[in-house]
Amino acid sequence: MFYRLSGIKHVSYAADRQLWPVPFDRYLVIAAVILGITAPFYLSPLYLGSYMLPWIIWATAALSLNLLMGWAGQIHLGFAAVMAIGAYSAIHLARAGVPFELALLLAGLLSALIGMIFGAAALRVKGLYLAVSTLAMQYMIDWIISHVPAISGGSQATLQTPVIRILGFPVDSDAGRYWVALAVCALVTIFMLNVKRTSFGRALVAVREKDFAAAIIGVNPFYYKLVAFWVSSFLGGVSGAVLAFCYYRAVTPEQFHLDVSIQAVAMVIVGGMGSILGSFFGAALVLLAPIVLNNFVGWFVAAIGLSLSPEVLALIPLILYGGLIVGFLLFEPLGLAKIYDNIRNYFLVWPFRHARR
Amino acid sequence: MNRIALNLLGAAALAVTTGSAMAQDKVIKIGLAQDFTAVYTFVTSDYNQGQRDYFTLINERGGIKGHKIQAEVVDTANQPQRGIEAYERMKNEGAVLVDFLSTPVSRAVVPRALKDQVNMLTLFHGRSDAADGETFPYIFPMTPLYWSQATNILQYIKEQEKGNLKGKKIALVGIDSPFGREPQPIFQALAEKEGYELGIYPYPSPGNEQSATWTAVRRFQPDWTVIWGAGGGQTVSLREAIRNGIKLDRLLSVIWLSEVDTEIAGKEASKGVLRFEGAAYGKDAAVIKAIETEVVAKGKGAGPAAKVGSTYYNIGVAGAALVAEGIRLALEKNPNGPLTGAQLKAGLESIKDFDAQGLIPPVTITAKDHQGGGKGRISQWDGSKWVPKTDWYAASQDLVWELVRKNAEEFKTSGK
Amino acid sequence: MDIYFLLELAVNGVLIGLMYTLVALGIVLIFKSSGIANLAQGALAMAGAYIAWALLTLAGVPLWIAVPLSLIAMFFIGAGIERVALRPMIGQPVIMVIMLTLGLEILLRGLVPAIFGSVVKRLDLGIPQAPVIIGPMLINTAYLVSGGVALGLVLLSMLFFGTRIGTVLRAVSDDQTASWSVGISVERAIGLSWGMAGVAAASGGILWGSVQGVDWTLSLLLLKALAVAILGGLDSIFGVLIAGMILGVLESVIPAYLDPYVGGGSRDVVASMVILLTVIFRPHGLFGREDIERV
Repeated sequence: MFYRLSGIKHVSYAADRQLWPVPFDRYLVIAAVILGITAPFYLSPLYLGSYMLPWIIWATAALSLNLLMGWAGQIHLGFAAVMAIGAYSAIHLARAGVPFELALLLAGLLSALIGMIFGAAALRVKGLYLAVSTLAMQYMIDWIISHVPAISGGSQATLQTPVIRILGFPVDSDAGRYWVALAVCALVTIFMLNVKRTSFGRALVAVREKDFAAAIIGVNPFYYKLVAFWVSSFLGGVSGAVLAFCYYRAVTPEQFHLDVSIQAVAMVIVGGMGSILGSFFGAALVLLAPIVLNNFVGWFVAAIGLSLSPEVLALIPLILYGGLIVGFLLFEPLGLAKIYDNIRNYFLVWPFRHARR
Repeated sequence: MNRIALNLLGAAALAVTTGSAMAQDKVIKIGLAQDFTAVYTFVTSDYNQGQRDYFTLINERGGIKGHKIQAEVVDTANQPQRGIEAYERMKNEGAVLVDFLSTPVSRAVVPRALKDQVNMLTLFHGRSDAADGETFPYIFPMTPLYWSQATNILQYIKEQEKGNLKGKKIALVGIDSPFGREPQPIFQALAEKEGYELGIYPYPSPGNEQSATWTAVRRFQPDWTVIWGAGGGQTVSLREAIRNGIKLDRLLSVIWLSEVDTEIAGKEASKGVLRFEGAAYGKDAAVIKAIETEVVAKGKGAGPAAKVGSTYYNIGVAGAALVAEGIRLALEKNPNGPLTGAQLKAGLESIKDFDAQGLIPPVTITAKDHQGGGKGRISQWDGSKWVPKTDWYAASQDLVWELVRKNAEEFKTSGK
Repeated sequence: MDIYFLLELAVNGVLIGLMYTLVALGIVLIFKSSGIANLAQGALAMAGAYIAWALLTLAGVPLWIAVPLSLIAMFFIGAGIERVALRPMIGQPVIMVIMLTLGLEILLRGLVPAIFGSVVKRLDLGIPQAPVIIGPMLINTAYLVSGGVALGLVLLSMLFFGTRIGTVLRAVSDDQTASWSVGISVERAIGLSWGMAGVAAASGGILWGSVQGVDWTLSLLLLKALAVAILGGLDSIFGVLIAGMILGVLESVIPAYLDPYVGGGSRDVVASMVILLTVIFRPHGLFGREDIERV
């Protein structure tokens, strides 16, 4: 009923290739965009600053990683290190007086350059070996950042980010920072939506399915793997910089440790590999689940009059978090995006279920 | 649509959880967002228990001038983003003071706390330069900085060597992290001044394997050894020191060495080891006794009774006592409340010669000095308990403040 | 620096490396049978140490019963994990399975300390603290004993592959479909390898736990075990034995000579360097088998 399909006829190639052929999908997207842009007006600063903002930024990061994992099929356990490179280089550049917009781009380029080294490993190995070598890279970059005071910021190992300046105007409000993050997120989302329907995107999918087979049909897997690493690291570096500037506003090496990489991978998997909407869902669940669970478990235990030590209480979210990853992989390997898709499919023909093919 | 749905879901869950906290009217809210699950597990549960027991004690006695203290406890897993979330939520609920007990989280929240005028307790953690109250008006270490601990330890060594350190060898064995590297400038500066030979031996974080480091230490043949780590790393350091034949009465530790470590290394085997102490050990202090009779005996303790009087528990009590004292002073000036962050800051800054009934050295906080004197003492493990070897004292504070000012200056020029 | 310094570092390094080998052994066993890397191996080691501690301290079981008992428990936990979590994943892409084991790692890291408490525990195996002194060298007794035990266990598992069940495991690792067709229960063989991985992890965890105390940091052994497994070649038990010793020696010796120049802590990156260099120059490790892929 909602997703009305009748009357949708494609008379040109452009119409056939459009992103959302179903009108109801378009309305949903428009509504989401409007809600996203106007969020600062109806959300309290708490919700805007501590849930909406990090969610938008992490969704951007999850999208960047999804390009690599979901489309090109390359596992990456060192994504936080890529984001760290972006964050640190953007801060140092901005402090040296480079305009924010340019610093963001340069940070992305530097991350892409170093990210290519991760990619170089991918040329030799895949699957498990790639996972382990990106893991090793994560440790090495962590180590370099915390051992070079010039990078990490002296003996206190903390760097304050300068105020963001867009076209010379300072952005120093929660709403302003949110809009900056939202703009970057929108750009990345639009890019990702379009990657799907380019030859580049299709080549990546071919490489993911079987790289030898791709080579046989004329897709150079080495080239596309490298480009996938390049693009994904570029976007990852940018989102790392946005994370540092718009959300943390002070950077310490701990913000980009291995746990964060695992979090990013979890976002992609829980959300759904190769799904754009899934990246948003995954980021929301992985980011907010521990927080909500933390608050909820504490309330629940108090409500039923049980007294657990805070130690046990604190570990419950960790358990549920791990359980969530395991549960999703076991029962819904395609992630939250697939669940959404099931619901959509149900409503596609509702209430005429018998009409479903 | 999906965004809102998720948002509403989160909002609903949060609204439910926060609703319960708004029953009483005259409450002062304190946020204890600490790390129960990741890096600081060795200290957090004891420390937090001490804090909450002390607040219970105050509340059982009728609160401070009619105000009850309400502490909210939440886990951050040492992740800055969860710390920031907890901070923003607590701030929204009207918390006037937060304590993260995690260096990365406090460092990440510092700019926000300064801007929002929310006081932050950084007892034995966080930025050392926060002692400069003019640069960091809302950050309160209120206990000896790591730099002060270093000068204290070196002062003790100097006294044992009858005032002459020339030609002596001192080894600094520390975890390889910003925390472990922090005392190095003090050790180096004093090495120049006093003429001892300094050997620095870092071991990798988290320090569960240090055999190679200690082989090198042993070959250095130090007269004195200082270990600078926390948690499991300290236990391993102690064991390796014993194994490598380092004389334990010439082995000193930073504050993070407790009876848990000596128990794992062997109570008898670790006899003689020395440590810096910022709050008295055991149940001798009047305030700990009061907690035992008025809180724990009535079954209102926040955790296992066996932990009362342990090292980290007492540090927690000390922190809570300092906060309560600050609140009392603030309420003296503004008896009607509600207490704001700025008023509590003024209260904390008027703490004068407060010793929590003998639990801690007399602390005096001013608007300039948020460290409070840097006094501590050295205590020794006698096989079953920690015995103080010295009185409370401070040393080379001029050197410490030189570093504080230098770092604070860096923060000021580059921070904003 | 003189030769004894180097020698002492090397000897202690070899002994530590043998303990790494024990944890890495589990990774190899699982990889051999099912081609999956088990990233939950660190958490399994931690769980084993916790169980041993609980039996010794909470239940008051004597040492000589407690340790075998905890190994048996870990065998069933390992096999149970395979049955519940891994078997449904057959046929899924490798990334998914790797992530599943990572999820398990996180799960166990929360669950086990929640049950037993997260404060560091003392696990006393009755190994004397006093070092063994050979000439001018001090050898850590705990390492000596642990290294010996580890060596014994690894050799035992090599012998095990000569037995009937071992032959079954080898057949499965060689070709799952072919073993199926000759009547081997592939599922049971994979389950067995998970159980054995649990035992290997637990023995590694118990030995480490006796050295450093038992808490969640035991799960950090994962990276070292991975480095050892990669360097040795993921499907070679003899390989991990050698690789463990190599990593142990490198980790001891490199920092001692390098630290003064780089300002400390280079031990942290040795394992990572080993992984990277191996992957770049010899992806299948020193003794691993290079397999040919078909479209």
